[in-house]
Amino acid sequence: MAKHLVIYTLAHQPHRLKLPAQPIPPGAAADDIARCLFDQRMDQFYFGRAAGKCYHPAIAAFTEFLCAGGKLCFGISETLLDQITRWDPSLLEALTGFVHHPNCELITVEPEHSLIFYLDIRRFVEGLGRYRQRLEREFGVVAQVADTTEMFMSNDLYFALARAGMRGGFMDGRSWVLDWRSPTHLYHHQLPTAILARHTDLSDDVGYRFSNRSWHGWPLLASDWAEWIAKAEGDFVFVGWDFETFGEHQWQDSGIFDFIAALPGELKRCGVECLGASEVMDRFADHSFDLPLPAFPSTWAGDGGVGFFLGNPIQQALFQLMHHAYNKAILTDDPALVDLAVKLTQSDVLHLTQWFGRSGDEAQVSAYFTPREWWALGPDRIVWEAQQVFKNFIAACDPAAVAAVRQSTPLDLASDLDDREDGSDPRGVTRERGPQEAHHKTKAQ
Amino acid sequence: MALAPSDCIFAVLCFEGPDRYALAGGLGSRVSGLTEALARSGATTHLYFIGDPGAPSVEERIEGRLVLHRWSQWISRYYPNGVYDGENEKLYDFNETAPWHVADHLAQLAVKGRKHLVVLGEDWHSAEAICRTSDLLHARGLRSHATLIWNANNPMGFERINWGRLGYIANLTTVSRYMKHYMWGLGQNPTVIPNGIPEHLVAPIPAAQVQRVRSALRADGAGPVFVKVARWDPDKRWNMAVSAVSRLRGRGIAARLIAKGGIEPHQREVFGNAVAAGLSIADVPVGESPTPETLADALRSAAAADVINLQGYLPVDLLQVLYRAADAVLANSGMEPFGLVGLEAMAAGAVVFTGSTGEDYARPFQNAIVLETDDPGEIAQYWDQLQSSPALVEHMRQAALATAAEYTWSEVLSALFHRLDYLAAASPR
Repeated sequence: MAKHLVIYTLAHQPHRLKLPAQPIPPGAAADDIARCLFDQRMDQFYFGRAAGKCYHPAIAAFTEFLCAGGKLCFGISETLLDQITRWDPSLLEALTGFVHHPNCELITVEPEHSLIFYLDIRRFVEGLGRYRQRLEREFGVVAQVADTTEMFMSNDLYFALARAGMRGGFMDGRSWVLDWRSPTHLYHHQLPTAILARHTDLSDDVGYRFSNRSWHGWPLLASDWAEWIAKAEGDFVFVGWDFETFGEHQWQDSGIFDFIAALPGELKRCGVECLGASEVMDRFADHSFDLPLPAFPSTWAGDGGVGFFLGNPIQQALFQLMHHAYNKAILTDDPALVDLAVKLTQSDVLHLTQWFGRSGDEAQVSAYFTPREWWALGPDRIVWEAQQVFKNFIAACDPAAVAAVRQSTPLDLASDLDDREDGSDPRGVTRERGPQEAHHKTKAQ
Repeated sequence: MALAPSDCIFAVLCFEGPDRYALAGGLGSRVSGLTEALARSGATTHLYFIGDPGAPSVEERIEGRLVLHRWSQWISRYYPNGVYDGENEKLYDFNETAPWHVADHLAQLAVKGRKHLVVLGEDWHSAEAICRTSDLLHARGLRSHATLIWNANNPMGFERINWGRLGYIANLTTVSRYMKHYMWGLGQNPTVIPNGIPEHLVAPIPAAQVQRVRSALRADGAGPVFVKVARWDPDKRWNMAVSAVSRLRGRGIAARLIAKGGIEPHQREVFGNAVAAGLSIADVPVGESPTPETLADALRSAAAADVINLQGYLPVDLLQVLYRAADAVLANSGMEPFGLVGLEAMAAGAVVFTGSTGEDYARPFQNAIVLETDDPGEIAQYWDQLQSSPALVEHMRQAALATAAEYTWSEVLSALFHRLDYLAAASPR
């Protein structure tokens, strides 16, 4: 029976795209491009709503939870941290106190909640490291464990976490990844870097089903849930939720804060001890199992596969545009434009267009989170304008890309390689020239 | 009892405004004069316009009662060629931000000061902003504290307006009966509030300045000298003006046209026709800060030309001198919502040939020559009549001055406030 519980929550607010797409003046500086791409006023509105309904009361509730002996792993995206810093100093103060609580373990995350790992794994690794340093500067805490965007996990992402120097990470405990295994054990793959597998069912009991009156488990009481935790087979149960579950997804009148308040006592009654992620890694390091990781990632969103983000043609088109936008920014050599392109790869862009052409629970969730203001455009125009944001950005990078071309020697490495008749690499590596290359060279001569 | 200016806070939303960057035509003159007059009458007035990106973003004038909000300056910095350069980019930003400022700042000020908020949008660029302002005021529970007016100065951009929405949330006004009838066709019935001119335009013009410019206009024995100031647009009937000059010259009369247009491509067609008609054309730059003296010098430099194309910015006071110095001003538009140039020229005491659409102020052969056709022969014919009747000319000049005095902003505002009382009572909520 599981006698330990690890709770993880992630707080995040996106940079919402400005729809309809705002035309960008030619030659605009990066700051001005940004104000055309992202709807800061809308962000501020939704942040304010989330702060009132969730962040303030939930931090207060979880602080009491921690003081009552509970433990919590807490991640926060840089997007949200910036918004808190800009718009709600009192929340920042409360957050700082919360993070400093000895029972709170700060988790580093992909700062922009982006899908940059699909486009540039090195930048993903750098982003994790940079944000970990920022968190250390802001809160004086060095995070040892990382969460990826939407808890994506795959073979390459695992190694990316290891290259980032993380001690461990999270993944969703979907059966198609775990196969016959249980999520209630510690895992690793080839390296000591640990993986905690989220218990999907016990997580979703709170995250998705808490307010669902047609669910047989409603109303969910802390006593019942604690018993379910205690009855789970294995070493520990790892549950994970959006922080916004508390007050925003599940409203206050659902009893969600009462649930949290009652939880420490009920867990104690059931003999369940709360641990932090690092504590679990310490305690079960000798009892960790190798887990073959999939090439296609799992995620805690939707049904656990990338279909939630790439399942319709609109999402796939946007995903292509993310690539083109990022590549174009790279070609400008302008770090500010590259930063903007990374922001454009935020998963929320795809999350908020998941509903297109779909129905059912997932589509309802996606539509629910799509800003109300966008619906005045109608569904077709929403997705068209979202694409237009990317197209505008790509065009807006033209002046910087032109300047970069004029200032740099064109693709130095490739030209060097082509110019060497013996086929030797200028770095000292000799390679065989293929027949097609030789033919091409002959024709060119 | 009519609303008094001091009872109101005005928010005027308009692309054009008093900065040179924002002065593209009659709208800029109108809104500059209107807002200044409102402020002088005692109404706190905020003008939101696409101002000079190099000027302060907020500027107070007239003891703080006129507040200029130079909007979208961050975009204008990328568009140095005036208010309509980067029009779509500016429009997006204007719609996105100006209504919020009105709703979040001015409306609150109005409520605190127990004032009535009057939001006036000018032309199609402000139509969406007016609608959004209404929505925002509703959301803040302040809609009943405000009267929203949208004014049409011309039919440009009408195809981009959501009339059902705009007509529902705002009182519509326009500047002439011609425009009122035009808008009937769109299912709207706007209230007519005429355009105005600044008081100083009806003040006497220094005779010495007029004489200096007049002698330059008539250098080399030219005469009559016609002045035409308008955008290069077929509606302005430039070809009619050029043809009239050509016809008079064909009869041995040394007629000359002083042309002041914009940057529109129709100029090429007009000048092509002028050359084909045998007229010579000279481009005459007026310089950075022209005065009557520099203008006279510039005109003399092109004394041999039949058509003098003035290039550069001419301030309104200098235009008044030019109007008065000319033998006649050709404001002969085929379609004119109001015809501000004609009225301004009348304020200078000029003999004005107007068209016959929106120029409600023009009375044929009393204060102006009102043209009914696009036949250049009509101009030539009436010029012959004027030549033979100096008394009629003098009578028309005096009558024109008197008419212009009836259209100063203080006179127009008096009518506006009488109308406003009704509009506020009947205001859509």
